[in-house]
Amino acid sequence: MPIYRYIIRRLLFIIPLLLGITVVSFVIANAVPADPINANLPQNALNDEELVAAFRAKWGLDKSPFEQYLVYMGNLLQGDMGVSIKTNNPVVEDIRQFLPATMELATYSIVVGLIMGIGFGVISAIWRNSIIDYFVRFFALIGVSFPVFLLALIALTVFHGELGWAAGPGRLSILTRDPPGITGWFTIDALLTGQFETFQDAFSHLILPSIVLGSYVSGIIARITRSSLLEQLGSDYIRTARSKGLYETSIIFKHGLSNALIPVVTMIGLLYGNLLAGAVLTESIFNWPGIGRYAFRASTSQDFPAIMGVSMLIAFIYVMVNFLVDLLYFFLDPRIRAS
Amino acid sequence: MQQHRIKFSLLLTMILLLVLSSISIAQEERVLVIGHAEITESYDVAHAFNPTSGIVHRAAYDTLVSFPDTDASSIEPSLASSWTVSDDGLVYTFTLRDDVTFSNGDPLTADDVVFSFTRLSNVLSNPSFLADPIASIEAVDDLTVAITLTATRPSFLAEMVNSAFSIMNDSEVIAAGGTMAEDAAETDAARDFFDQNSAGTGPYILESWTPQEETVLVRNENYWGEDVPYFDRIIIVNISESATQKVALESGEIDIATDLAPDQVSTMQDNSDLAIYTTLDRWTHFLLMNRDPEIGGPVADPLVARAIRLALDYEGYTQLWEGSITPGSNMWVGIQGALSPAQIMVRDLDTARALLEEAGYPDGFEIELSYPDLTWNGVNLSTNAQKIQADLAEIGIVVSLRPGEVQVSLEEYRTGQQGFAYWFWGPDILDPVDFLSFLPGGKVAEERTNWFTDDVDPDILALIEQAGTETDPQIRQVVFEELQLWAQENGAYAPFNVPTIQTAVRSDIEGYIWHPSWTLDVTLLSRAE
Repeated sequence: MPIYRYIIRRLLFIIPLLLGITVVSFVIANAVPADPINANLPQNALNDEELVAAFRAKWGLDKSPFEQYLVYMGNLLQGDMGVSIKTNNPVVEDIRQFLPATMELATYSIVVGLIMGIGFGVISAIWRNSIIDYFVRFFALIGVSFPVFLLALIALTVFHGELGWAAGPGRLSILTRDPPGITGWFTIDALLTGQFETFQDAFSHLILPSIVLGSYVSGIIARITRSSLLEQLGSDYIRTARSKGLYETSIIFKHGLSNALIPVVTMIGLLYGNLLAGAVLTESIFNWPGIGRYAFRASTSQDFPAIMGVSMLIAFIYVMVNFLVDLLYFFLDPRIRAS
Repeated sequence: MQQHRIKFSLLLTMILLLVLSSISIAQEERVLVIGHAEITESYDVAHAFNPTSGIVHRAAYDTLVSFPDTDASSIEPSLASSWTVSDDGLVYTFTLRDDVTFSNGDPLTADDVVFSFTRLSNVLSNPSFLADPIASIEAVDDLTVAITLTATRPSFLAEMVNSAFSIMNDSEVIAAGGTMAEDAAETDAARDFFDQNSAGTGPYILESWTPQEETVLVRNENYWGEDVPYFDRIIIVNISESATQKVALESGEIDIATDLAPDQVSTMQDNSDLAIYTTLDRWTHFLLMNRDPEIGGPVADPLVARAIRLALDYEGYTQLWEGSITPGSNMWVGIQGALSPAQIMVRDLDTARALLEEAGYPDGFEIELSYPDLTWNGVNLSTNAQKIQADLAEIGIVVSLRPGEVQVSLEEYRTGQQGFAYWFWGPDILDPVDFLSFLPGGKVAEERTNWFTDDVDPDILALIEQAGTETDPQIRQVVFEELQLWAQENGAYAPFNVPTIQTAVRSDIEGYIWHPSWTLDVTLLSRAE
């Protein structure tokens, strides 16, 4: 199949998927036996019928759920995701404020996780069943199974609180001003505007949370890299390469690793999606003003427009990242192109 | 060439001096950093009604009357220098101070008061209900305001301390798109502006707010008061996680941590860089026993309710939560008129068992205890629920615990669906009338406990009626005491603990006081030099 047809088919598939997401998140949000009135108005205000009626009318809660859904979808088709009950801002603006922080952290974490994970995986495969291998496997197991928020708390307490080696919570030091908002990524914005001290500050604040989140990523990547590389190293084409007298480094890195990394690429998509959607607790510990904390607040206050907006956003990112990964797969693996 | 060199050297020296002077100014800037779990959706006084906005409004605005800095024991003048109340208790006439200016230099007038209160009422937002008792408001002259109430309301002055009654500069609000018109709910457009700015008479000005990140206050250079605000800049950083607040405080990044748990504070006691403040919190923890037999089952019986009150190990809860105390009733212990420590309930298992027998449950019964699954200001509700379970087991009541997701549990509670429940209550008004919610005809009683006035002694109903309207302080004291003692015998609740709240600050911060109304008054703070 030509690549453009493949891309169009995949992109078209996203539309019903997102539509399904709106239905599912709307049904789930409405199925919770809790009233947004209780979650958002002070208890004595509930006696004020005029106030309660005004609140219901303002947020469309005086309509049936079906009508609410139709109104929401009508607005959505015009690019309007509604206004958050909690922040009183358009959801799009809220997302614009909070998403870049999460994406910046997730991207750095993925990079850290990949470097550590692939490195450990390769070491572990080369020295299979040695002390180093056992150590790396143990580390990978800890990375995968240790609760990330606990690791975050320990890391912050020890490396920032006790030793003072790492920067504290937040995206910047308290007295440092935000760089002008261009991309929302502080490191990039600081560089683009020539604020090198701000860049340094932002970068130093990314190190600890990236390592913490990256350790989870690296645990998974290390395990996949190890098993995949071992599989490759036992293949016929590697035996042939050895018999031709190629250097061992060339065999491992050029032939073995390049093929072993194909399943790793698939995992990156899933892990990146996980980091975007599931870093709520880590964001809380590191005081990271990201989309995870926004989503948590929206769900605890029955903020329907925000819940819907975040659900669709996360689903969209998941789908897009995995789509890009599939495309990458297309280029990386000649067998897929052939099929 | 020589001349160029001299010019260049002079220019360089001037630049250097400018840089150095700016550095020294920056170093001299007095900055206070507060770590705080932000809970607000606005800083417009007509829209905000939550803890964080209370702190900011206390700094940027003033109300007509206020409480003392340390407690809520009396009503004191603030922007109003004096006031009178008509004989029928319906008309409050306030005389404004004549030396007050807003942060932009405009003088305070009666029109600002009329505008602020009318806008509060008409925008129909979260705190608008506070203006419901006001029938009309009129500027008698430039410095006199008359407020007429819909009914006698002894708690009115205490209610006016709420920051929702802060006075805004009407011309600034109008310039920002605000209005006090009847259709203000649809036409007022000033909220966005006042989320980022203030137009008050307080010692500080709201400079900026990045939601969920930080709020910045700066000194009001036109402040009319005698004491010049100490800090140039106050930054309230949103740190939602208490463990992160602790780390930031210990490392010196923040000066005050407002949301620490008791176990976190206990690890800081020996740190000489920190000072710990422990005060009674404003929350009363209590059991609710629904009076509808179909919902409450056995606990709907007043005899069983009394037995449960007598079975609780009150002293045990005070030991469990260090520094906490036992309340005598559902009236918060910090309110003038709450029962004294000598009048609290005392555990009496024999009487409790006898009451159960009299109610027809000699062998006890089984029941579910509903409560929200959360930790509130450091108190884990599950811990208390387990102790309640153990306490009641001693009189044969077998309690099974039913923790619920907070919003779901809250919905059940507020709609009166919970039979036997554990909740906590903080007074909306720091006045004894707040307690009326827990008596027949009151909000909690009727809506959440199905406890109506039908079978209540008419004398008690008359007393409740009197409590809501009586203005004489001494008579109020007697009436409320009688009602609280009656509730100990006949009530549908078992208030059992008022925990403490802990705050830790850097030891060079002076003037810290926790207040039951606005929690933190940053205008009192300074740094030891």
